[in-house]
Amino acid sequence: DLLQWPQISKCRSPEMETFSCYWTAGNFYNLTAPRIIQLLYMKSNEEDWKECPDYVTSGQNSCYFNASYTSVWTPYCVQLASKNEVYDRKCFSVDEIVLPDPPVHLNWTLLNTSQTGIHGDIQVRWDPPPTADVRKGWITLEYELQYKEVNETKWKELKPRLSTMVPLYSLKTARDYEIRIRSRQRTSEKFGEFSEILYVSFSQIGIGCDHCTEEVEFPWFLVVVFGVCGLAVTVISVMLSKQPRLKMLIFPPVPVPKINGIDPDLLKKGKLDEVNSILACHDNYKTQLYNDDLWVEFIELDIEDPDEKNRASDTDRLLSEDHLKSHSCLGTKDDDSGRASCCEPDIPETDFSASDTCDATSDSDQFKKATEKEEDLLCLDRQDNDESLPSLANTDPQRRHRNTQSENSHQWAPFADSVESPRPSVNTQISNQNSLTSTDFYAQVSDITPAGRVVLSPGQKSKLGIAQREGCTEQNFTMDNTYFCEADVKKCIAVTSHEENEPHVQEQSYNEDSYFTTESLTTTVANLGASTAEPPSSEMPVADYTSIHIVHSPQGLVLNATALPVPDKEFNVSCGYVSTDQLNKIMP
Amino acid sequence: MSTKGASLKGLLLMVLLVSHMLLTKEGVTSLPICPNGSVNCQLSLEELFDRAVKLSHYIHFLSSEMFNEFDERYAQGRGFIAKAVNSCHTASLTTPEDKEQAQQIHHEDLLNLILGVLRSWNDPLIHLASEVQRIKEAPETILWKAVEIEEQNKRLLEGMEKIVGRVHSGEVENDIYTPWDGLPSLQLADEDSRLFAFYNLLHCLRRDSHKIDNYLKVLKCRLIHDNNC
Repeated sequence: DLLQWPQISKCRSPEMETFSCYWTAGNFYNLTAPRIIQLLYMKSNEEDWKECPDYVTSGQNSCYFNASYTSVWTPYCVQLASKNEVYDRKCFSVDEIVLPDPPVHLNWTLLNTSQTGIHGDIQVRWDPPPTADVRKGWITLEYELQYKEVNETKWKELKPRLSTMVPLYSLKTARDYEIRIRSRQRTSEKFGEFSEILYVSFSQIGIGCDHCTEEVEFPWFLVVVFGVCGLAVTVISVMLSKQPRLKMLIFPPVPVPKINGIDPDLLKKGKLDEVNSILACHDNYKTQLYNDDLWVEFIELDIEDPDEKNRASDTDRLLSEDHLKSHSCLGTKDDDSGRASCCEPDIPETDFSASDTCDATSDSDQFKKATEKEEDLLCLDRQDNDESLPSLANTDPQRRHRNTQSENSHQWAPFADSVESPRPSVNTQISNQNSLTSTDFYAQVSDITPAGRVVLSPGQKSKLGIAQREGCTEQNFTMDNTYFCEADVKKCIAVTSHEENEPHVQEQSYNEDSYFTTESLTTTVANLGASTAEPPSSEMPVADYTSIHIVHSPQGLVLNATALPVPDKEFNVSCGYVSTDQLNKIMP
Repeated sequence: MSTKGASLKGLLLMVLLVSHMLLTKEGVTSLPICPNGSVNCQLSLEELFDRAVKLSHYIHFLSSEMFNEFDERYAQGRGFIAKAVNSCHTASLTTPEDKEQAQQIHHEDLLNLILGVLRSWNDPLIHLASEVQRIKEAPETILWKAVEIEEQNKRLLEGMEKIVGRVHSGEVENDIYTPWDGLPSLQLADEDSRLFAFYNLLHCLRRDSHKIDNYLKVLKCRLIHDNNC
């Protein structure tokens, strides 16, 4: 057995007028007489320990302090001691140890019963503990009621309240209930003891409904389960149903934002052919003012920007193989006239599968499509004279650089065919053109045939190097192609004239010049003319930059005759546009 | 139209919520000053006492909780035991210590005593509210309660002065008051000593607020309900 010292177990005041302290004797002494252990107390404003005034009233091992010994807000210390030693000590003030007695005189009365007689309401009343002087307001009590059915184990609690009566609603008349109440001082936390249990039995007052059927509880569980199952079945059947209408009704598709006109995603993805077609096929996208200034400005910007390569590769894409492919695979008619490709009324949908399949097409088809592409390039004059155009044009040079050399050979051969086909005169090129469909804004003249025709290509200048030899002789310049690449012409002529002498050098020297300068053009054309059967005619210097007089249908631009001062060759610029008039003079 | 309706509903809901919040704040309902709406109305003594009792109960409730929180948070590890509570600065005021004394004292004297205790706590409460913020990592609840107690004490003081004005037949005595000199102890450098000073101050506050609450209830039952609450 463990040795247990005497301990003060608790001190309690039931009404804030008296208080008692209780202790446990422990097993310290085998023959402990109660008086050996003493309880001494001391008030804070006194100095010596006094002995307990009453060891009897509160029972064994207790000390009772009556009203005369009790000061409520005065601190006390009590200690348990025998002659020589102190076993335990506690300090407190009376207001802290208030634990009221339980309420008394519990009773209940019936308020009413339900129509079926199954449930009833009762009112429970009680009196405050007799020791607590509630009447004079010396102590304020609050009560907590607990109740349960007789055969239950868990008590239900009500919120503590100040009043001494409380209604209980919806008790089952067929059952018996037990009620108990306890109280506490209002600002304390601890409750006193429970009162005696009050038994509530409806049958005693003749209301009990013995033959009443047990009220069936609403089968919530079953309802929930079946509801969930049904909902799941419905949802699954709707989703699996082939009825698109029903599906759309219940699961409406999330609308994708669609802007009439231009889909910015197309631009992002580089699907410029769609954008081009959209723009081209709208009448209100007609070119506006074609001031000299407009074009010049754009072109000048283009010139001054040394960093063209870093710009968006839209025009690169325009002139790229991919662009060609995607465009060519859009079902354009393989018509040599070249008109069909420009004049698709429909906005072609981006069909990746189609473009992918285009990869399988033979090279010859590619060439054909490439040539059609060339025609489309010519159709640029129909495009809107947007700011985007110059930017696109500006990026042409870079794009050309990027194209691989290997493509050169592919691209040269068919050009002649395609370029030859449209042959309206320069002056009549204005008319008779269907609307452009998907076209490029700018095209590079990759070569000028000895015949005087300009060959446009998305290819790079680098292409020119290798293929120049072949292309130059084969290709003819069309009168219709108003865009000339001076560089190309230069190269072409240079190649033919120099007989493969350092074609690469030529290439490099013209690396930056996507287009021919007028000077070079004249010279090259002149050379060309000299080497071929069709000598170029005029030697009139053509300006590097000319303003567009009229932008026409796919045939090209009609440039003004007014020529700007010809920049130096070192002045790396994009292709200077040559007016058709000038070109006519240049070439046969 | 639908957005307008929705915004109106939202506004109405907001108004209802705010007014509900304001009106059901426990213990401190803003009762109308003049329930009848007349200009020169006066609250009845019963209503004045009702409000005073509510306030005193609220103050004691807050003090009790604040002391418990402080005890839990700071005092447990330190073994504070409230010193002989003679150290409470209001101990010099002779207040009734049991029911008999409370019943025998004249109500005017008791009212004056209550006023005296309340005035004596005005100063300490102000400093308590400001100094408790300097305690390291003081919980927000303690800080808030300190401020709240100080506010409510002021209101109770005003209310008591009104009651005293109504009840007193003669002149109002203003000389019951004990000064408080415990501020330096709240500002001690040593943290343990400082916390002990707070502990004692809060203990005294809890005790005195209980006293005042009790006295007011006794007075209310005596004067209003004729000893038959």
